[in-house]
Amino acid sequence: MRKPSIPKRPSELALFVLARLVVAGAAALILVPLAFMLSASFMPASDIVSIPYRWIPDGFRWKNYLQALAGNDGSWLYARNVLNSLVVAGAVAATTVAISASVGYGFAKFRFRGRNLAFMAVMATMMIPFETVMVPLYLVVVRLGLQDSYLGLILPFMASAFGVFLMRQYLLGFPDDIVDAARIDGCSEWRIFRSVVLPSIGPASATLAVLAFRQQWDNLLWPLLVVQREEMKTIPAYIVKFAAEKSADEGAMMAVAVIASLPVFILFTTLSKYFLGGSAVFAAGKE
Amino acid sequence: MKRASGMEGKRARWGWVFVAPGLLFFSLFSWYPIVNAFVTSFTNRKLISLKAPKFVGLQNYVRVLSSEDFWNSARATAVFAVGAFVPLLLLSLLFAALIVSLRGWKRPAQMALYSPAVLSSVVAALIWLVVFDPRGLANQALNALFGTPGIDRRWLADATMAQISTIVVYVWKYVGYFTILFVTGMGKIPDAVNEAALIDGAGPFRRFFSITLPLIRPTTVLVSVMILIQCMKTFSTQYLFVQAGAPTGPIEVMTLAIYNTAMRDLAIGRASAMSMLLFAVMLLLSWLQLRASRGGEDAL
Amino acid sequence: MKRIAFALLALAFVAASLSAQAPAVPELKGKTVEITIWTHEDVNRTAIEKRYIDEFTKANPGVKVNYVTYPSAKIKDIVTAGFAAGNGPDIFNLEIFDAYPFLAEGFVAPVDLKAAGYKSYKDIESKYVAGMLAPVVEGGKVYGLPLELTNWALFINKKMFRAAGLDPEKDWPKTWEEVRSVSEKIAKRDGQILLRRGFDFRYPYYLTSVVPMVEQLGGELVSKDGKKVAVGDAAWLKVFEYFRDFGPNGSNLGSPTYTAARKAFDLDKDEIAMSLSGLYQIPRLQAANPAFYDSKEWMVVPFPQWKDAKKVVPNNYYGHYYMVSSQESKLQQQASWALVSYMLSHGEEYLGKVGIVQPTKALMESAAFKAMPYSDVFAKDLAKAHIVYYGASSTKIDALLKEAFESVMLSGVEPAKALEKLRKSMAEALADE
Repeated sequence: MRKPSIPKRPSELALFVLARLVVAGAAALILVPLAFMLSASFMPASDIVSIPYRWIPDGFRWKNYLQALAGNDGSWLYARNVLNSLVVAGAVAATTVAISASVGYGFAKFRFRGRNLAFMAVMATMMIPFETVMVPLYLVVVRLGLQDSYLGLILPFMASAFGVFLMRQYLLGFPDDIVDAARIDGCSEWRIFRSVVLPSIGPASATLAVLAFRQQWDNLLWPLLVVQREEMKTIPAYIVKFAAEKSADEGAMMAVAVIASLPVFILFTTLSKYFLGGSAVFAAGKE
Repeated sequence: MKRASGMEGKRARWGWVFVAPGLLFFSLFSWYPIVNAFVTSFTNRKLISLKAPKFVGLQNYVRVLSSEDFWNSARATAVFAVGAFVPLLLLSLLFAALIVSLRGWKRPAQMALYSPAVLSSVVAALIWLVVFDPRGLANQALNALFGTPGIDRRWLADATMAQISTIVVYVWKYVGYFTILFVTGMGKIPDAVNEAALIDGAGPFRRFFSITLPLIRPTTVLVSVMILIQCMKTFSTQYLFVQAGAPTGPIEVMTLAIYNTAMRDLAIGRASAMSMLLFAVMLLLSWLQLRASRGGEDAL
Repeated sequence: MKRIAFALLALAFVAASLSAQAPAVPELKGKTVEITIWTHEDVNRTAIEKRYIDEFTKANPGVKVNYVTYPSAKIKDIVTAGFAAGNGPDIFNLEIFDAYPFLAEGFVAPVDLKAAGYKSYKDIESKYVAGMLAPVVEGGKVYGLPLELTNWALFINKKMFRAAGLDPEKDWPKTWEEVRSVSEKIAKRDGQILLRRGFDFRYPYYLTSVVPMVEQLGGELVSKDGKKVAVGDAAWLKVFEYFRDFGPNGSNLGSPTYTAARKAFDLDKDEIAMSLSGLYQIPRLQAANPAFYDSKEWMVVPFPQWKDAKKVVPNNYYGHYYMVSSQESKLQQQASWALVSYMLSHGEEYLGKVGIVQPTKALMESAAFKAMPYSDVFAKDLAKAHIVYYGASSTKIDALLKEAFESVMLSGVEPAKALEKLRKSMAEALADE
């Protein structure tokens, strides 16, 4: 390994200094709005838009957090809504990985009639903006009687074109020899998938799980349509409702935002290996 | 690699076994709605109506293509897609190259850049709406930087600035995500290659353009397709900004126009025609992009 | 004195409500039926309506009611998607210009007279102030019962007037010209950055409160025969110019991107001195900022008119009607109308607790209404006002108005050009009906 010593060649020294300056500057700029959210969450509304902005609040206004959790109607449903978001995003992440792995494996390692057509048909769905299919999709979910349920929030997102693409890419790089060797040993196709292929797709699964989790964590439109009962709402739906109510002030809104962000930040810092390293899969595939 | 045809047939069936359950989900939750939208695009169906829709041929397409508003939203999408695509691609490449050269502190730097990507868009919009308040941080920061007290850049209230603001929020949110994809791509380049170049006396620029860039080509192609598709599908930021009082016209991107045509004007037939057009453009763009780059053959 | 009377009345409501008993509806006897209500969020209203529902289901044990609230900015989309998928609610309410398309398309059932406890449709009409049911009467049948009808007047912060050297009692703005000059006196800026506003509009409710400005000058949104749109160039251009001069490109007095005027007004943080809202804002003001409410440093004055107005046009009134879906079974419709009728029979409590006005003759003439602070200001304006434009494409037209006015105000589009575009798009929207 190279030692992190200060380089002597001028061009290398310039890179050395520049890299640190630029990266530190960019990181600081990117973190400013987050720091702002945190600092403003402890302030009364009028301090948030004071000129000049004072970063350290005069005293911590925990009332904002109390209001955020209680809601403007005192229903105390926010914690439940946060839990819903975790359940839905978690379930979508897990099922997306399972389905994508299976379909991706089928596309990558088997030749069968209609394969390319099916693959292109799956890929094409990536280009469809959600707003386009929202109404027909809602119709499907209503026919299945899935409004107001976790299933209604989860099912439509389990099939991910990007997930299939990712898994196929990743498995294209998986040596055929290993699969063939297992076949020669008399393993069933199912067993090969379960004991040989699945254990090897860790990085791709991590990337995909993180991506799917984040997308559902972020989903606003769908829960607004499908969920009617307050206790089934997810975080974005709660936020839109909270921000729309006339008595919400910016301080409490920022507290809502902080609470909404905490679980993902905790996940993010503890699982940063997967968030960051997981994307290794993009460089994999055919090399 | 020759096998008995019986083996081939058996394996082909297994291929279907792995693919079929997933395809069932795709047919119910992706293909059916798309086909439904496609068929609807040739009818005069209203979103709420008890009357059966009538087949109207290409009327919706003609109407959409000859409407000023459609071309405005096409322009808004193009401006946003290009306006966000270029900085996202360039900045994430730059940050990735610099982070790779860092050695120590790599992880904290990546985590800092990545962190906005884990926020939900609603939260991001909440924060930025307060930052973009005329009395907010954005004005204060620029005025302090340029020594111009009392200037209001009108982040949300001005036609041009509203477009820039949506791009700023988007780049802020996603630059870290794409940076990390590039960092990983660059991590695959063997140290030995760079060290050899270093010994040969190649400077940082040379190394970046002659070694790094060509070697991460598949990543670049993949990431740029992803960015472009994602930018063309942007919705939440524009939606929330318009709700917060920003002028509609300049940032009424296609997805927002489709949403408004369907949900506000209830003209689901016309909205479906618009969706099909957007779909066609996105397909075409991704195909062109994949073809234009030789690395594309590896990526798809 | 007024306030004490008001408090006593409120107390009387509470006492009355404790002993309330809902009627048992004969049609529902021995049957089980489940009905769903979708309504917009309003904390105070939800509290009392949930109580009415409890009372109703106690008296009619076979009925189960799902009461669901949505943010007011979202509910229209949700009701739309619901009906589109054949999964609409039994009972819903939307602002009339959003609700009318559902009525026009046949999704709304007429009032079930027996279940709702009326003798005839004429009987219903006779209970309400003349004209208030007009939007929901079709072919002699009534398709909705008013939950509230609202007009807006101008709220004034007296302290801020005095601080700017004005006498609120004398100097409150009667004309739009004065709105601007008074705002100019109150506004405080740091360079271009507006720190304190005098007045600001209630964006984006252009149909409700900007169209009257045009009408005051003799213009019209749609001509009486329905053939011409955006009638009266001079009137429209003058209002466009007013917005241009008011906004950040003109005298920089306000803009749609600031905190909603009525919210900032309630907080009384020296941010805004005037805002437009309805009578319902008064209990909200009291809840949000009791100290300011009690200080009496606020008042309500009529909707401003132009100095050279051709006719007096107060703020359009708009309203919510409870409607019942025609897509559900007869039994569900009966249960729904019975429930709606029972809930709406508490007009005085809706007024006292929520500040919303059902335009029944009984309520408008009641002591409770008269005891409500400034109710006379609203009532006087209401008598001269007309209802907001509604039609199969009213939602679209509201959006077109927003786009036109904000393009002039924010994007520097010439008023004449904006008017031309508005006219073209409006004609197109009406042709689609």
